[in-house]
Amino acid sequence: MRRFEYARPSTLAEAVGLLAHEGERARVLAGGTDLLIRLRDRTLTPAVVVDVKRIPEMAPAISESGGWVRVSAGTTMTAVMESQVMRTSFPALVEAARYVGSVQIRNRATLAGNQCNASPAADTATPLLVYGAIVLAVGSAGERRIPLDEFFVRSGVTTLGTGELVTAIELPMPPGAVRSAFQRRTRRRGHDLASVTVSVALADDGVRLAYGSLGPRPRLMVGGPGSVDGLLERAMSEATPSPTSMRAGPEYRLAMLRVLGKRAIEAAA
Amino acid sequence: MSAIGDPAPRGGGRGRVNGEQLYVADIHLPNELHVKLVTLPCARGRIGAIDATAAMQIPGVVAVFAAADLPTPMPRFGPQFTDRPVIAIAETKFHGDPVAAVAAETLDAAEEAARLVRVEYEELPAVTTIDAARANDAPLVQDPSIRKPNDRLANTNVLKEHVVSWGDLDAAAKHAELIVENTYRFPMVTHFAIEPHAFIAAPDGDGIKLWTSIQHPYWLQRLLAQTLQVPLAKVRVIAPDPGGAFGGKQHAKYEPLLAFMALKLQRPVRLVLTLEETFQAVRRTETEIKVRTGLTRAGKLVFQDVDADYLIGAYADIADRVVGKGSYIGCGPYNYEAGRVTARSVLSHTVPSTAMRGFGNPQVNWAVESNLTEAANQIAMDPVLLRLTNLAAKGDPFIPFDTPCDGDWAQATKRAAELAGWDKPKPEGRGRGFALGIKSGPTTGLSYSMVRLHADGSALVYCGTQDIGQGARTIFAQIAAHELGLPLEHVSVVMGDTGVVPYDQQTSASRSTVLMGNAVIAACKQVLEQRRAGRTGEIVGVGDARKEPDPDHPLGGSAAFFEFNATAVELSVDEGTGDITIHRHVTVSDIGKAINRLQVQMQDEGAAIMGLGHTLMERYIWDDAGRIRNLGAIDYRIPTSLDLPAEMISDMIENGDGPGPYGAKGMSEGALLPVSAAVAAAVRDATGAVIRDLPLSPERVWTALQERGGS
Amino acid sequence: MTEINLRINGEARSYSVEPHHTLLESLRDDLALTGTKECCLVGECGACTVRLNGAIVDSCLVLAVEADGGEVQTVEGLAAADGLAALQEAFLTHGAVQCGFCIPGQLMAGDDLLRRSPHPSRAEIEEGLAGNLCRCGCYYQIFDAVEAVATGNAAK
Repeated sequence: MRRFEYARPSTLAEAVGLLAHEGERARVLAGGTDLLIRLRDRTLTPAVVVDVKRIPEMAPAISESGGWVRVSAGTTMTAVMESQVMRTSFPALVEAARYVGSVQIRNRATLAGNQCNASPAADTATPLLVYGAIVLAVGSAGERRIPLDEFFVRSGVTTLGTGELVTAIELPMPPGAVRSAFQRRTRRRGHDLASVTVSVALADDGVRLAYGSLGPRPRLMVGGPGSVDGLLERAMSEATPSPTSMRAGPEYRLAMLRVLGKRAIEAAA
Repeated sequence: MSAIGDPAPRGGGRGRVNGEQLYVADIHLPNELHVKLVTLPCARGRIGAIDATAAMQIPGVVAVFAAADLPTPMPRFGPQFTDRPVIAIAETKFHGDPVAAVAAETLDAAEEAARLVRVEYEELPAVTTIDAARANDAPLVQDPSIRKPNDRLANTNVLKEHVVSWGDLDAAAKHAELIVENTYRFPMVTHFAIEPHAFIAAPDGDGIKLWTSIQHPYWLQRLLAQTLQVPLAKVRVIAPDPGGAFGGKQHAKYEPLLAFMALKLQRPVRLVLTLEETFQAVRRTETEIKVRTGLTRAGKLVFQDVDADYLIGAYADIADRVVGKGSYIGCGPYNYEAGRVTARSVLSHTVPSTAMRGFGNPQVNWAVESNLTEAANQIAMDPVLLRLTNLAAKGDPFIPFDTPCDGDWAQATKRAAELAGWDKPKPEGRGRGFALGIKSGPTTGLSYSMVRLHADGSALVYCGTQDIGQGARTIFAQIAAHELGLPLEHVSVVMGDTGVVPYDQQTSASRSTVLMGNAVIAACKQVLEQRRAGRTGEIVGVGDARKEPDPDHPLGGSAAFFEFNATAVELSVDEGTGDITIHRHVTVSDIGKAINRLQVQMQDEGAAIMGLGHTLMERYIWDDAGRIRNLGAIDYRIPTSLDLPAEMISDMIENGDGPGPYGAKGMSEGALLPVSAAVAAAVRDATGAVIRDLPLSPERVWTALQERGGS
Repeated sequence: MTEINLRINGEARSYSVEPHHTLLESLRDDLALTGTKECCLVGECGACTVRLNGAIVDSCLVLAVEADGGEVQTVEGLAAADGLAALQEAFLTHGAVQCGFCIPGQLMAGDDLLRRSPHPSRAEIEEGLAGNLCRCGCYYQIFDAVEAVATGNAAK
């Protein structure tokens, strides 16, 4: 790893000030399960690593108020899996969190970090999309609420501004029964990066389908009640799987979008 | 007192569970320097100027070594051909071939400086596949000038062609009512020992001392003495128990470079490879195998004709021996009128391939056993029956000029079928597959052991064998305790230091229980004789065991024993995704006699699981520049605890018919051999999809399901 | 260099670390606790598993400075004062140890699983150990060892 300075701000204001000042020279460290790999292989060479885990607002917490569930940015996948409200109301997200990696990884990797890396294959992105998640970010200009679908740009790139810091992910509590499911495809049964992810959520007022690993960013499609099969067909025509990926060929990925999509719809129904 | 066969506690076990066991990377010497290798981002590059100015400015950097810092002409080394330069000279031959090495006071400084060494290079055309390497206008991997005089293949990338045959193939072909001919491919895979290779070299008076995770300390000693041009007695190799080896730690890799650096700098130098760098240090050969099997409609096998191209790497290492020995027994454990095996070592601009568990046999075994399944299908004969019908019986000279069949192989075959419930109806949606595996044991060998019976009645057993995880320490302690009539707790085993333990040729080919085991018995007998003669106080016995070479034999010696295994699997396939779920995996090895039944089971299952790796998921992926795309653990997948058969049944046949202690044979590789063919046969049984390429990844199985015709 | 304070295997330690060094590097190189092993360095093999503040982590993916003020347990801290821990003994008696290089990590993961779930199902064991590769292929024996300790737990 190349040398860097380590900063451990103790307040949100301090962190935001530091990030604004350092700009592109800084990288945020939360769970570190992705950042440390990139520091080691030097695809990232920041001058300053800003560890945000000791900021009180970032401390691991899943709380419910006013029809929203707030997952603080320091919350790990393990905590998401163990949360009763998550298991009851957002089962597809809990299922996806299980697959993020081994126990060791899930004990460190954060739900917010999984979005900030903006990997098209991020396991938790598609369930968050179908649940209508919002990203909370603070910067020198104050707080922003960014719908997750407007957060992802392409692999590794988000709409987060320089100096902005994600503090939480918020999920709207479903008003009624939501039937949802998550499916993924890997090269082995053991933990692995996904070559296709699909989530669906079926509610009385409409359906949502999201897929990942089939283009530069996870995609969300929304339709009226009963339109889920049509959404899947549209996904099939719009997906753009990489022709050169070593994890799976484009033909297989597309075929699996259909197979997993149908399975997810069936599991959710 | 522990008896032969009992699951005696693992020798060296305590240090392995409390963190005290020292592997090479855990050892530090005073005043040591850290080494980092400098490589190019391509397979084959013509090396121009090397500018170390910026690198040398990093605080703590002591030296940047390159070809110019080594003797002229560049010393070359290798266990079979002296073809590998100590460091790349003139051009790199594969992705990862080091052009320079930095030595620094800290690893940070060495790593930083390695990135700053400026190497001018021109990328040259490289061959990384069998087809490319064998093309008429292919660039040559090896300079013809280092070939032997009169080598007719010197101007090709074929390093050597091995042909073994018996009987009259043309005449036999006339007796065949059916000829089944197919081509099979086996992927390039790597050892992935959890301990990456580590090397430390230090000046030692007027000699040199090395610490390295190596299987053959004495072979390394000889190679270093030759390369450094010093007497054997001036090279001491200290070899702590490796953290997994699987063949990948048999032969020298960066020990010669480290030795030259230590001598020049007069300081200890250490190099611990990253896992990525181990992918660039060791691998198994990729292989393409054409098989023609002739048989009668009644299921009598008539002939077998095997033609294999093994894609070896840029330097030969021990790969050509892998090709010759691995293909040699390719016709399988069956009686034929005629057999022929042709196998070529094909050089390429890829990582030098080396020994890996199974030693060239898994590749041919996959092809030949799959072709037998195909043949059984074509004559509508049960595949187990087809094999039993043709299997060599004890004493049959199934390869006329080699050791005859040395076990009751039908017993093992029937036992596997029985454990698999072969005759019982299959559950809905399941498929079953069956295959046999065979491998020649060691063809030559020399092992010495020294046993010191102390005055208090406890004993020290000295063995040059390396405990690479197979549990050799336990086995030798059990044998010595048994022979000397001592409790196991009163026996200690000393290994891993050429300055201390007597000579042993090598730790490979599942030889150690047989050869070193016999040497331990001989040493114990000498101790007992002296005691019977009235000697008291410390008594020292020395014993040896030899497998004499035979210069007229195609392999330089007949097989000391055969490893034989029968494997059956039952699985189901998710037709939507191509996922394979193995419900039951049965492996039965013919082992002669278990010295420790628990360790036999550990080795047998371990071999089977390693076989599942290359069968289901493992392979290198290359880019157009000959670079490995999936370097490291993220995109090179090996089996985890979630990838195992729901049930694995490992059983052993013990007839006491081996040449080792109490009738033991070697057994650490057999269960790996038939895995691929058994799994592919079961996939075919379950779905009708025929696959002749490994690994059987979900994507490959799914693709085969789409292309499946009526078969 | 940054000064950090930790409790390691029950013992308070204060020392300086490089900010860019991982907890794995610091344990092995600064503290000579070499029981924790280095292999993949990308959080895939589990050889470097340690317990940090009550949860197991891959110490190759944690900066040493992040552990400041925390509590770390390594394989060296598993054994009871009067000998090996039950899980360590079980690994030996069930044949879970071949080359041994992955074993410190396997033990830390197995110990963690048994703390979270004293009577784990086979599926829970497979999942709990899925972050620890064993190339010798001793997985079934490792499962048996964990199950044996769980059975012992039941007897208590």
